[in-house]
Amino acid sequence: MSVEIKLSRSNRTYRPHEPLQGKIITKFPSSVSHRGIHLTVNGSVNLQVRGGSAGLIESLYGVLKPIRILKKSIEVEPCGKISAGTTQIPFSIILKHKEEDTKFYETFHGANINIQYLLTVDVVRGYLHKSLSATVEFIIESELGGLSEKPVSPEMVFFYITQDTQRHSLLHELKSGGFKVSGRICTQCLVGDPLVGEVTVEASAVPIYSIDIHLLRVESIMVGEKIATETSVLQTTQIADGDVCPSICLPIYVILPRLLTCPTVFAGPFSVEFKVTIVVTFQTELYNVQPKSDPRAFRKWVAMESLPLELVQSQ
Amino acid sequence: MEFKTRDYRAEDKVYSLTRISVSSHPLCSSPSSSLSHTQDHGSTEFFDPLRGLSTEILEPVENMAVAEKLPATQPASHLSSKKEWTSFNKLLMQRFPVPKMISVSSFSSKTIKGSKASGELSSNIQSDELNDSQKLKEGGFKIVSQQEYIKRLHELKDEIMRSWHSDDRVTTLKLSIKVARLLMDTSVAQFYPTLFVLAADIMDMLGDMVWDRIKQKAEFADDGTKICSLSDDFDANSICFEAKETCNNWFRKIASIHELLPRIYLELAILPCWRFLHDNVMDDLMRLVTMIRGVADPLASAYCRFFLLHCAQKLPQLDTGHLIACISDTKTVLTRIVSMKETKYGNFLGDRRLVTSLMEPTIEYTMRCIFKDPNQVADMILRLELYGEVPWISVILHYLLKELPVSVVCSNAVEILHLVDCSSDYSFDQCLNYKVLGLKLCEGISQVNTVDVLIDEVIQVATKRKSLDEYLKILDAYMDIILQYKIDHYLSSILSEIFERLCNEVVTEDELASLQSIIVKLVTHFDDMKYVFDLNYFVDILDVMHGSSRSIVSMHILNNATRNDHINDPTTIKLLFDVAQSLHDSVDFSSTKQDDNQQAERLIVRFIDKVDHGIDLDRHLTFLIECRGAFSSMNDLKEILVHSSNLLATRALRLREKKDTLNFIKSCITFNEVTIPCIPSYSRQLILYLETAEVSLLGGLISHSDGLLDSAISCLQDVNLLDGMRKNEDADGIVSLMRKLCSFMLMVPGTLEQGVTYIPKNILSLLDSQSWITPKLRIRVLCSLLSLFATFSQNELPYHPIHEEVFGNDSLFFGDARYTQELISLSTLILHNMVDIIPQESSQATRGNLALEACNCIAMSFNVNQEISSVCSKLVEIARSCLGPADKYLQSTINFVHKQSLVSVGGK
Repeated sequence: MSVEIKLSRSNRTYRPHEPLQGKIITKFPSSVSHRGIHLTVNGSVNLQVRGGSAGLIESLYGVLKPIRILKKSIEVEPCGKISAGTTQIPFSIILKHKEEDTKFYETFHGANINIQYLLTVDVVRGYLHKSLSATVEFIIESELGGLSEKPVSPEMVFFYITQDTQRHSLLHELKSGGFKVSGRICTQCLVGDPLVGEVTVEASAVPIYSIDIHLLRVESIMVGEKIATETSVLQTTQIADGDVCPSICLPIYVILPRLLTCPTVFAGPFSVEFKVTIVVTFQTELYNVQPKSDPRAFRKWVAMESLPLELVQSQ
Repeated sequence: MEFKTRDYRAEDKVYSLTRISVSSHPLCSSPSSSLSHTQDHGSTEFFDPLRGLSTEILEPVENMAVAEKLPATQPASHLSSKKEWTSFNKLLMQRFPVPKMISVSSFSSKTIKGSKASGELSSNIQSDELNDSQKLKEGGFKIVSQQEYIKRLHELKDEIMRSWHSDDRVTTLKLSIKVARLLMDTSVAQFYPTLFVLAADIMDMLGDMVWDRIKQKAEFADDGTKICSLSDDFDANSICFEAKETCNNWFRKIASIHELLPRIYLELAILPCWRFLHDNVMDDLMRLVTMIRGVADPLASAYCRFFLLHCAQKLPQLDTGHLIACISDTKTVLTRIVSMKETKYGNFLGDRRLVTSLMEPTIEYTMRCIFKDPNQVADMILRLELYGEVPWISVILHYLLKELPVSVVCSNAVEILHLVDCSSDYSFDQCLNYKVLGLKLCEGISQVNTVDVLIDEVIQVATKRKSLDEYLKILDAYMDIILQYKIDHYLSSILSEIFERLCNEVVTEDELASLQSIIVKLVTHFDDMKYVFDLNYFVDILDVMHGSSRSIVSMHILNNATRNDHINDPTTIKLLFDVAQSLHDSVDFSSTKQDDNQQAERLIVRFIDKVDHGIDLDRHLTFLIECRGAFSSMNDLKEILVHSSNLLATRALRLREKKDTLNFIKSCITFNEVTIPCIPSYSRQLILYLETAEVSLLGGLISHSDGLLDSAISCLQDVNLLDGMRKNEDADGIVSLMRKLCSFMLMVPGTLEQGVTYIPKNILSLLDSQSWITPKLRIRVLCSLLSLFATFSQNELPYHPIHEEVFGNDSLFFGDARYTQELISLSTLILHNMVDIIPQESSQATRGNLALEACNCIAMSFNVNQEISSVCSKLVEIARSCLGPADKYLQSTINFVHKQSLVSVGGK
């Protein structure tokens, strides 16, 4: 005895103005009478504060009140009977009417912020029987947010990293010998496209151990008057392994992890932003001495440059 | 008993065939027939059993076999490159000897040890990303046995395949990443190529599986219905959304790998799958080329490029941009290594020479790919900026030169020479690059232009070299061109330079080898050895050479000199004689290398044979005597000397005054008498004694010929003393020589003091005394003797000696009753001997045939009276019992005996 929902798209991804379509599939050994089949669409932003920059008191609040985006319920079939065996009941729900101005945030599962859309089916069966139900998550991809069209020429930001651009203390030999790593990188990027750019080691007195691109996500939540921020490393991509030849242009090519990213969001009570950090690690004996530590911590043999990254939904 | 009288002239007339004169020699093909012969060759395909199959039949068969194994999606044109890749990989594994134990970094040893392998699988790919500091911390190396390493790789391959077939794609990918990570560890050094081959095989397998799966998705819907069928050159638009999603997922998964190298390898493995997503795969390929630049380890990056080239070949409509980019990147990497100080590099890669040698195959493969398409050679050269002023890395240049088509090299000889000139670094011996260039130029020798400048510069370059070895190596490679174009001008200066350098230092084996090659080229280039010997310093250089090089050069000189019909220049003969002597002295007769010795001997023999002193026969005899002294260890050669001396004697007979001649012939014969006993084989001695005896009889020297026959007989007596265990063949040979001796005896006049039958008697006693003579052989000799006596008894002998002062027995003993009596008595003895001996033959068939042979001989020699008749019928009886009455030989013998008896009865 089972009920399930099968959405029309295998990747379960829909845009707000598109109808959410699919089939309710029931498998019963004998015919079942019911008092109506209902579908409920539920979209909400769940916020939670833990650790990060939030203070102790804020963290005690724990879960904040979720922000509702959408709740709709429709009756697919009135009272009736479903015959034995497998039955398929097609449905179609319009998520967003043109005149509505609800903001459909994109589905997003972060550390502190969760934006989730669920579709639930209920087969209500009299008082003596428990109603049968099933839930699926579907994914909302928004239409291009603030921007009306795809950025034609992605904006490239030039950067350079030297011993003087670093705000933390460096090894003596790095400071005195000097180094220069320069390059450029896109700071506005479609979520479906790779993040591209290039890096050139122009000079380095100390051999380079590795160059990595860190993709960071910053989730901020308004808690009362304060803003609680949580930064997490989503992905590290090595682009240089070892002491690469100087003056050779190395490509930056990072495919964004689909489930961990979403278009940059600035909503009133919360925001999701992204950053990209170019991290240059130099060869040093100190590796063997230092205990394993947080990659974001400033280490003396690491130089880095962080740039904001705006992610945009593609059409 | 009496001998049959015969009239040889009449018999000759009756029995000889009528002769018809013909216009052409049967063995010499006439010009017209030879012409038709060559036409024959032209029209019909010559079937070479060794070659025919491999080119025409085998190829398609093999292709089909491969095609069956491969997924049908691979376009046929890729098969050849795939095959080439496989064979190249095989070579790669053999090329570098792998030590039994490999030191691996502890990082990869974890995968190899495999203890945690399966447990770790569940952890997230990304979880490893932060472990880089840990990787360094563990630092040290671990030792793993090579077998263990390879075994583990095979296990990983099996695991990958198993998880794929159980639809566990995640595990498949994770294990593949593990394999790709192993390639990051280049501390395995010599094992790296083997590791690469095994890992690349796994990557290929993964690539094929992913390709097939996505293609399946594109062609068939979930429920198995066919959506479309993709042609080889499909475009991305025709791929359904589902398939694209799956494909995208693979690329996303791979893109999330932290480490650069494994990420590149995995993307390369599934590179063709980009075609499902969009139509400009070349962009991705080029991006990967640039991504490899981020791999700083020269070895890892070289092999990664190598893999890239391989994967790129799976794409249709291949552009060549990536090839050029790969080579230029390799160049950058090598330039850096080359310019680095040894110590700095030493601490992380060890010996940089080892590194470059390990990189070599990848460069070779790249160059091969670049010049694969003959139509694009010119374009490629342009894009490589070959003739720029910029020096190249010599190892890259080396493989470039190797792959460049001969025609290109020849038409740009000077430019390329400059290129080699300015590209000098430790990565490859510059000398060898000069050499490759030289050899290429020699290949297309007729197409080389600007020869003057070229040779001038080459000689300059070579002369600049301090080391003799390098000097010789460079010269050697260009020798053919120098010989072809600039003989007079340069040869003497080169030779004098060589000689000067040779005098100043101890010559090593390598140098000798190069020198040998140069001299051999020089020698074989000229037809006339006189010219070569006249070159300044040539002979001096020859004298400096020693050992096997000297022998080889000597052989070439002799071989070349004996190509001409005659060698008659005295100085040339003298020099060649010296060469031959040094060759003779260098041959190690105790060595087992019989072939070499025989070749040397053959060459010297040919030289002696070709030497011609014209009518100065005395000089030639002296030459032969010198030869005997000089080449004393060569036995076959002595035989030739005897033949030559005999030839000389007969020539003298034809040429000279009488008195003079006699003395000369005497000296020739004396020469032979001295020479023959030195030859170890008795049968050969026998032949030569007989030959010399014939010659001396020809010259009228009866006493000499008697002496020689005596020697022959004593030689026969010795046969058993030393060679008790003779084989049958040899016995047969000696017996036939004995029979030849009998026929020769007919011409030799008998002497009174020794008795006419002195030698036949000796032979008879020999037959009794020698145990190796079987009944069969004995009967044969007896037959010959019987025939000899029967012939002696005739009034006129069938043949006579030519010399007018030598008289045959027929004139010496005409009508002498004692003479006839002696012949009869000896013949009777032989007759009885025969009858006694035949039953001793053990083999029945042989016995029968022997009886018939003897019977025929008897019936032919004697008048068949009652006595003879009874002997004959006895023999026929033996034959009948052995062979049966139906035997044809028996029948004809019976007929013959019958006819003879009728004749003698009739005659009475």
